Amino acid sequence: MKYFLLVFETMRQNWLRTLLTSLGTMMMVFVVTLVFSILTFLDRATSEKSQNLKAIVSERWQIPSQMPIAYADALSEGAPQKEGDHRIESKDSMTWSFYGGTTEKDLRLATRSSFLFAFALLPSSLLTMMDELDSLEGPLKAEFEVVVGKLADNRRGIIVGKDRLAALEKSVGDTITLYGLNYKEINLEVDIVGLFPPGRYDNSAAINRDYLRAALDAYPQSHSGKSHPLASKSLNLVWLRMKDKQIFEQVSNQILSSSSFSSPAVKVETASSGISTFLEAYRDLIWGMRWLLAPAILVTLSLVISNAISIGVRERRMEFAVLKVLGFRPWQILLLVISEALAIGVFSGVFSAGLTYYMVNVYFGGLKFPIAFFGEFRIPWEALWWGAAIGGGTAFAGSFLPAWSARTVKVSDVFAKIA
Amino acid sequence: MSHESPCVQVRDVHKSFKRGGDVVDVLNGLNLDVQHGEFVGLMGPSGSGKTTLLNLIAGLDRPTLGEVIVQGQTISRMTEGQLAGWRTRNIGFVFQFYHLLPVLTAFRNVELPLLLLPLSAKQRRQQVTTALDIVGLSDRVNHRPGQLSGGQQQRVGIARAIVTDPALIVADEPTGDLDAKSADEILNLLGELKKTLNKTIVMVTHDPRAAERADRVVQLAKGRLAPQLAK
Repeated sequence: MKYFLLVFETMRQNWLRTLLTSLGTMMMVFVVTLVFSILTFLDRATSEKSQNLKAIVSERWQIPSQMPIAYADALSEGAPQKEGDHRIESKDSMTWSFYGGTTEKDLRLATRSSFLFAFALLPSSLLTMMDELDSLEGPLKAEFEVVVGKLADNRRGIIVGKDRLAALEKSVGDTITLYGLNYKEINLEVDIVGLFPPGRYDNSAAINRDYLRAALDAYPQSHSGKSHPLASKSLNLVWLRMKDKQIFEQVSNQILSSSSFSSPAVKVETASSGISTFLEAYRDLIWGMRWLLAPAILVTLSLVISNAISIGVRERRMEFAVLKVLGFRPWQILLLVISEALAIGVFSGVFSAGLTYYMVNVYFGGLKFPIAFFGEFRIPWEALWWGAAIGGGTAFAGSFLPAWSARTVKVSDVFAKIA
Repeated sequence: MSHESPCVQVRDVHKSFKRGGDVVDVLNGLNLDVQHGEFVGLMGPSGSGKTTLLNLIAGLDRPTLGEVIVQGQTISRMTEGQLAGWRTRNIGFVFQFYHLLPVLTAFRNVELPLLLLPLSAKQRRQQVTTALDIVGLSDRVNHRPGQLSGGQQQRVGIARAIVTDPALIVADEPTGDLDAKSADEILNLLGELKKTLNKTIVMVTHDPRAAERADRVVQLAKGRLAPQLAK
């Protein structure tokens, strides 16, 4: 305790330098915390689960995947063909068709706020299979169940995220017309039946898949009997949930060995593997963030601290000499200097990481960084100890050499000029 | 402790320094005894070796040749770590420019040496209070050096020097940065320490008035003792 007080008191030597070093540390910890949060999120998303895993069935040779709707029913069950094959229950499967539209009829006048991207799916799968929505609890779950019920009852219904609804300048209960972007000339009049719970789907929407299918089926009637170009390509993804890897392997074999899915061919991969594949395009960016940006910031921070501590040590040579005269040993001088740096580093790191956590997660409701299809990132709670580790680690690295220099101050040399 | 042997014994001490490529001999076979309770002044021209001798006696440096024995311990053979520990308990150092830590109060400055000893906070507080009482600064305990006059700062320096109750006080031009009145007060204080607390004092000074307060003045010239001025 007595040494701690001494450390704290000597930190007041130069308040301005202490403050500036602290601010520099906070700034860099803030940036590194953001980078680490994104990398951690992506690592978790791409790490293999061994239990209760989700698999994605998609077209093997094309992105985006465009499978015929005829595949939907069989794939949703896991394509069981014979006795002993595993059959996926309906609550453990989900089909997606992606519908993109705009509320502006004239595309030239369309702005970002008029666009809307919707998942066309079976309404019940919102509660059983959609990430984060399948684990809702309490009042939030009850509220969303009502909304899903409305979507199931109203084939023209649409559920929208709060941010997207605000951008469209519409309210729940309104009816809007969506002019198809990917499904050209498939325009859908939809009734806004409710909102997604706040979070991941703030900018998304969901419509009833039957409504889209019906629109595709009706297309030939107004187009001289010609089918819509995407009529046989409207199934984009099939999600399957399986208890463990063994069942995944079994279902995967069932699907891949079936002749029903050969044209186009399909592939089956775990969600994490699918995400990894999708992130391939961002591989260099992620690599740069992990191995260039973050280390560069850490090194810069260490140098900043080292510079500040070096200046302080140079100014305080006489003080260190006096402490040695009084009986302080070299290792105690070393410890004093390092402790001062650590105190500043750890405090600044924890404060910065904590503030980042609060501001990003609570105040802003997530970091909107559009990498791949991830809407937003949140700061994990581990950031609090990252802050301490980064601040403390860089403080130690930056202060060690100056502290060693302080330790080697020769008392007789410092006083040689006197008398 | 037996006081038959001198408090300080300097035996045939040589001290050389490397300055650039040259070797400079600062002390050449110097011998000196300082008795317990004696107040000795060291005088001499610049470069005569006064401060070097003081540093050797205070255990801040080691001789190139010869021995320095203080309070019966041959400090010239101690390692740097041993010297540091020895200094805390046995030496009080008074500097010309006080060298107080500017961010610490008078109390905390005086307490510094005690942080190295196994004392409780209460014991440290008692000893600091006593030391500041002795130097007459009980009413300034919470003042920082910037809030004290030169004379008061030097009193704090003296309090710091005596707080561990060392037998030997070494003072390096303690009045060099003070006006005549303050210098007088400091010298009176040093005299009181010798008389009432039986401290042994070795003081480097250029000031003849300061030298007058000493029991004995030792003149150094070219690293050796010149014929002494007895009191």
